[in-house]
Amino acid sequence: MPEFRALLSYDSEMAQRIRSHDWAATPLGPPRDWPQSLRSALSICLNSSFPIAVYWGPDLRLLYNDAWSSIPGPRHPTALGKPAHEAWPDIWHIIEPQLQAVLTTGRGFVTRDQMLPMQRYGAREETYWDYSFTPIAGEDGSVAGIFNEGQDITTRVLVERRNRVMLALSDQLRALDTPGEVLSSALEIAGAHLGTERLLFGDVQPEDLTLRIDGCWAGKSMAPIAGTIPLSYFGKDALEALRRGESYAIADVETDPRVNDRLLRDHFAKTETRSFLLAPIVRNGACVSVLVGQHDAPFHWTVHDHSLFRSIAARLGRELQRARASMALRESERRHRLIFEQARDIIFTADLDQRITAVNPAAAAAIGLPAEEIIGRSISEFTPGAEFEKTSAMLRQKLIEGGMTRYEVTVCTADGRLREWDVNSALTIDADGHPIGLHAVVRDVTEQRAFDERQQLLINELNHRVKNTLALVQGLALQSFKNGRTVAEGQDVFQARLAMLAAGHDLLTREKWEGANIASLVADATAPHADPPGRITASGDPIFLSPQAAISLGMAIHELGTNAAKYGALSRPEGRVAINWALTNDRDFAFLWHETCGPPVSVPVREGFGIRMIERALSSDLNGKVSINFAPDGIVCRITATLPEAS
Amino acid sequence: MSEEQDIEGLRILLIEDEVVIAMTAEDMLEEIGCTVTAQASTFNEAMAQATTTDFDLALLDINLNGVMSLPVAQRLRDNGKPFIFTTGYGNVGLDKDFSDIVVVTKPYTLRSLSNAIRSATGDAASR
Repeated sequence: MPEFRALLSYDSEMAQRIRSHDWAATPLGPPRDWPQSLRSALSICLNSSFPIAVYWGPDLRLLYNDAWSSIPGPRHPTALGKPAHEAWPDIWHIIEPQLQAVLTTGRGFVTRDQMLPMQRYGAREETYWDYSFTPIAGEDGSVAGIFNEGQDITTRVLVERRNRVMLALSDQLRALDTPGEVLSSALEIAGAHLGTERLLFGDVQPEDLTLRIDGCWAGKSMAPIAGTIPLSYFGKDALEALRRGESYAIADVETDPRVNDRLLRDHFAKTETRSFLLAPIVRNGACVSVLVGQHDAPFHWTVHDHSLFRSIAARLGRELQRARASMALRESERRHRLIFEQARDIIFTADLDQRITAVNPAAAAAIGLPAEEIIGRSISEFTPGAEFEKTSAMLRQKLIEGGMTRYEVTVCTADGRLREWDVNSALTIDADGHPIGLHAVVRDVTEQRAFDERQQLLINELNHRVKNTLALVQGLALQSFKNGRTVAEGQDVFQARLAMLAAGHDLLTREKWEGANIASLVADATAPHADPPGRITASGDPIFLSPQAAISLGMAIHELGTNAAKYGALSRPEGRVAINWALTNDRDFAFLWHETCGPPVSVPVREGFGIRMIERALSSDLNGKVSINFAPDGIVCRITATLPEAS
Repeated sequence: MSEEQDIEGLRILLIEDEVVIAMTAEDMLEEIGCTVTAQASTFNEAMAQATTTDFDLALLDINLNGVMSLPVAQRLRDNGKPFIFTTGYGNVGLDKDFSDIVVVTKPYTLRSLSNAIRSATGDAASR
């Protein structure tokens, strides 16, 4: 067969191997006996640079060209001349029916994207193919062989799959806001696309270098697992690889020396793990999380698998970080919002034109308007003129010097009340460091300031009154020891006057220093002479006197009483005093002291202190007139006075 | 001249709202040889007396029934009348315009009163 010899002399590897193969021991017999149909098919095969194989004979013996020789992996070159079922035990369940159909029907078969789980390097490997089986008619017209053209499209399929997974991840994870949702969704997507039996994801616990499983996706053949796995269980050099940011795989834990340890084998047995791949997430030089893919059978992890797992891990890491940050931000915003909403202090923000941008409920309540009616308005609308200049000056100061300003400003509320605000405010700075507004925390110190002021007034007033009282006591002392009185007499008079002064103060204290009514004054001032009962009668309209007037009238009644006890009606048991007072109109009143049944009265040569005091005190403090009539049958003292205008 | 003779016969306008204190002051002034020729116990009276009464020196209570008497002081100054402040407040509350005016704090003594009067009239004489 010169032509065929020429053909086989074609200088390719497979041509040489076919030439040197011992075909006599096969059903094909020696090449010189091969039928023309086989020769033609083989000629096309060997001359083609496309991967082509020819299956020939009843048991479909395999012949192939150089381009096809990489397809069976390590089975090349021993696959040459083998029956198809011996060459392809791993995928025979898939291709046998296809081949059989071609043989029996005589019609060609073509398939695209066919997955063939080849066992090529001691582990199962997913491969994808476009291929055809074309019948070759023998000399008798029946199907004598099958012409097979095939393209390994694994790379293309894997790239497409990678694109699909990454697209799905980026589409779906972006919409998720919590780390939990991101993780479970990412594992679901990866599980659906990758064909991996089980996926784990977890954070590395730096203190004991364990992997805490935060998420697990399991396919049909493996059960989900949880808990923690020491990183050392993945092989002694796994951790170093992960720290370098490299993925790390073991195709078969039962044969790999890196995990040849009883403890580890127990772990793998317990978790049904036969093969795994680790892809790390590295942050700041430390492996913080790991994505784990697992199979319950030996599995050859390709470069594609490594790359895809690394990409998925990286994407997942970024999305988790984003979700955590966004959750932390939401949480922080929620907390701040809560503080803002619930604070009893007034909080508001404004832009640099002092236009209010936000107010909390306390601020709205303080102003007396709903928040939405305050927002957008200028601070000037709530601060009277000079006060707005103050807030403007404070804003300028912050813009020039930065920091916070603390000042008090008078604010006008919606219903026109003026309130004193203690304002603590600072600029709001954007990410570029530019001021964009201000925020302020305010305490309403109106009551506090009024209290402070009142307290200061009270302290001053107290000081004044004490000094005045001391001066008064001094005056009483000087007056009591004059007029030729002996020391003992002077002491009696002085003590009686001091007692009256003290009683007046008691009365005023009971009335909280707001004043006292005449009935109480009379009762207190005449108390020393009330015995026997009935000597003194007192009645009149309810009239309330200011503190000063009350003290004066009290002192006056005391002096009248003392005088009466010494020289007048009260110096005798049968003597009587009638005290009456009445309003003569809205503001004028008359007060009458009338002694009867006393000893004969003579006009004194010199007016005593008591009388002088009565006349002057009442004329000055009550704007009143006093007339004392030393009538022979009893002293009559008539006082007319005007009450100050009610304030 | 003796010290007493300095102020002997001075005619005093006594402006004091508290009657007993006014009476005491009156007695004390008489004791040191002065004569109280006019008295006022309210702000309005004081304003009127400050212009119309013939006197050599005024004793002016800073607080008249709660009203600060500084306008009275201003009127006295405008009329060229020497005066001294009397007060229960100590020196607080005194206007800086009148920081040169002598202040006698209550309760006063004969000595503090006569020293203050001497100092006020001496100042007036040297002006």
